[in-house]
Amino acid sequence: MIEIQDLSFTYQDEKKPALEGISLSLREGDFLGIIGPAGAGKTTLGRAISGIVPHHYKGDFYGSVTVGGMDTVDSSLIDISRLVGMVFQDVDSQIICPTVEDELLYGLENFGIGRDEIPERIGFALGKVGIPELRERSIGSLSGGQRQKVAIASVIALKPRVLVLDEPTGELDPQSSRQVFTLLRELNEEFGITIVVIEQKIMLLCEFARRLLVLNEGKAVHEGETRQVLSHAEDLENIGVNIPRVATLSRALSRKTGKEIPVCINLDEAEKTARGLMA
Amino acid sequence: MIELDKVCFAYPAQGPTVQDLSFRIGDGEFVAILGANGAGKTTTVRLIDGLIKPTSGRVIIDGTDTASSRVSDRARRVGFLFQNPDRQICKNTVREEILFGLETVRGEEGAEALGHRADEVLQEFGFTGEEEPFSLSRGQRQRVALASILAVEPSVLILDEPTTGLDYRECCHIMDQIRTMNREKNVTVIMVCHDMEIVLDYASRALVMSGGRLLDDGPVPEIFRNSALMERASILPPQMIGLSLRLGRGFEDADTPESMADAILRRKKEG
Repeated sequence: MIEIQDLSFTYQDEKKPALEGISLSLREGDFLGIIGPAGAGKTTLGRAISGIVPHHYKGDFYGSVTVGGMDTVDSSLIDISRLVGMVFQDVDSQIICPTVEDELLYGLENFGIGRDEIPERIGFALGKVGIPELRERSIGSLSGGQRQKVAIASVIALKPRVLVLDEPTGELDPQSSRQVFTLLRELNEEFGITIVVIEQKIMLLCEFARRLLVLNEGKAVHEGETRQVLSHAEDLENIGVNIPRVATLSRALSRKTGKEIPVCINLDEAEKTARGLMA
Repeated sequence: MIELDKVCFAYPAQGPTVQDLSFRIGDGEFVAILGANGAGKTTTVRLIDGLIKPTSGRVIIDGTDTASSRVSDRARRVGFLFQNPDRQICKNTVREEILFGLETVRGEEGAEALGHRADEVLQEFGFTGEEEPFSLSRGQRQRVALASILAVEPSVLILDEPTTGLDYRECCHIMDQIRTMNREKNVTVIMVCHDMEIVLDYASRALVMSGGRLLDDGPVPEIFRNSALMERASILPPQMIGLSLRLGRGFEDADTPESMADAILRRKKEG
């Protein structure tokens, strides 16, 4: 679904590349989490997958990004956006209409969706995100979590095959954050939508993402299945990426026993490891 | 000393957001306020800051009721770090930003003394002063906001979700700096925070709120061990506490990965 080959990108007027030599291959229906410290290039990579780099943000672009068989450099942003939906980090910069319904309508009309199909699409998107009752509300009266859901709804109304989200839970409390990830899982499992999510909350990624990509200073540090990436705990800590306490625990146990103890990524695994050692 | 005595607060045309809130926070404490969205956490810290006044009851800071104190006196005593640094930064360089707060609150000390104080803070935070705040990363901007608050030397520091939008390293950096202020200068810290691992690492006491009321108040590791309370407040306890509860007796003190590993191996040895 997404093929990235040796991608490097330097923003216009910048000296340092934002991305350097990134290669990534995602199949349809994958669920990828991207993590890394501030300035690692996470947002730039999200922009490259959705074509905003280099179409909107100009700069030196090397290598290739192909989404659903389309080379993003050769395709128009309109064609790419029919396939890839992006939810920006700052949802308030994404939402432009005064009411929830207008916001969804705006994208659908821009895509030339037929008038007869529009009400069903709006109903589907709001229902999926779990906010049908907010349809008539003004954007200004919504909480941060609700606005986040409106931004996601307006993108899924367009039925993308790939959904890119840039820190969608940044301003949300733990419960709302889980709700957003549960929604992503449903979209992923029910409709096979490929999910790419930039996220700092490692515990959410451990629970929901099947693959992880760790970026640092524009380069890929590790990429692979979530568990396998977390087995490189030391590298992650060295670049300032948080790892779950249960993973730190399995490392401490390995060190103290002198035996190789498999990395734990959730509480169930940690309990099993502890009981196994004590038995 | 901060004292809330039977405090209620209702926004106009809404039901009460906090009800019958009574507690005391002593000088130099590091307190976290926990609870789900809508529990009344932000309203509580705004009441302490005097940004809003109680509908009934009293908020007393160092013996003075916020209902009758002057804004400038309160600003001198209580510093408030918002979730989003961009809502408080307004100047073009870090030095100007720090001086701005100082001149507003401690203007009577004169330009020379304030300039000296600004330089002290710049050094403490590792800024040259010439940086443009909006060209810095979010974590750095959060540190600029913190520096300009601490420059004034408040006795109370209020943090509303101080680590939102920061990566892990930035988060540790800013929390370590706050801990240093708390320990070395005896600054009272009151923090609203959704990250329970951070609360466990830094706070020593927690107030747990739900539906505008105080559910419980106690020392940090113990409060997380109260499963019924955590459920009522919709809080998922930190991972090591969760694990120690599952493993049962003998793991009560294991609240860090290191101490947990030791407890597991001790048990293994004992068979």
